[in-house]
Amino acid sequence: MNFKIIDPLIGAGSGAIIAFTVSQIIPANWNMFLAMAAGGGIGMILKFVFLLLLAPFFGAFEVMIPLSIIAMSVGMLSGMASTNGSVTDGCISVTGGLVGLAVSVVVYFSNKNLTHPQ
Amino acid sequence: MSPTKNYDRVAKTFDYFRKGDMRRWGRSQKEHFSQMHGRVLHIGVGTGMEIINFPPDLDITGIDLSAKMIERALWRGKRYPGKFRFCLMNAEFLAFPDDTFDTVVTVCVFCTVPHPVAGLKECRRVLKPGGKLLMFEHVLSKNPIYGLSLKFMSIFTAALEGTHLDRNTVENVREAGFKFIAEKNVYLDIVKTIAGTK
Repeated sequence: MNFKIIDPLIGAGSGAIIAFTVSQIIPANWNMFLAMAAGGGIGMILKFVFLLLLAPFFGAFEVMIPLSIIAMSVGMLSGMASTNGSVTDGCISVTGGLVGLAVSVVVYFSNKNLTHPQ
Repeated sequence: MSPTKNYDRVAKTFDYFRKGDMRRWGRSQKEHFSQMHGRVLHIGVGTGMEIINFPPDLDITGIDLSAKMIERALWRGKRYPGKFRFCLMNAEFLAFPDDTFDTVVTVCVFCTVPHPVAGLKECRRVLKPGGKLLMFEHVLSKNPIYGLSLKFMSIFTAALEGTHLDRNTVENVREAGFKFIAEKNVYLDIVKTIAGTK
């Protein structure tokens, strides 16, 4: 199993799904800060669901650490973006996916640095 | 819920939830456990998933708190190419005389033992002078972002299954009196191999 490919895919996929779910739940007329907090909360709930589904196949810590960062950041970002009427759900989902991918890449290099110090 | 009841409860699904970890950590475990020698005590044998990563021809005693876990480990012990026996025992109260084993091995156990330093002192007691403690454990990260995630998750894992994700096991090993402690990161600075000498 090639985790170098799987880990970024998990990051991008979970980021996109969290962003889409948050954009569907948070109403556009909410206060931006309230939407941000609620988005972060929804993200954290989804994190537990993803963790339960993915950890048995891809490792508990390797899933949990990037997912914790992705869930909180993407949830908050998507919550805020949902209150902006001009941003589409598709755009929010793609941004969530990109943030998820970026976090996975950062964690990958952080792991490389810590496990194979120069 | 007592740790024994808790592990009896999760015995059926234990292999399913740990198989991802085994895929990730198999190679690191094999490398670390290649240092095992002589009479070996495997603390917290669980369902015996790690036995496959042990070198052959050793005399190994595997202990666990849970009879249900040991039941599921029996077939793996039988397939081990050496001696493997199981005992129902608490890591904090080992029923072995002082200076019995050449190597003590643990895999993700000291996140669960209620009094880790007391458990590690027991490991030290049963080790022969110069004997090795080989641990494969997860600890609290020094990185504040990873550390915060672990502390947050630890609230849930400690309540649900008694697993603490925020322990400083390397420091506990030192506190228990081991010498020449070597640690190596396996995943970030969270999953580590730790080696100590009595």
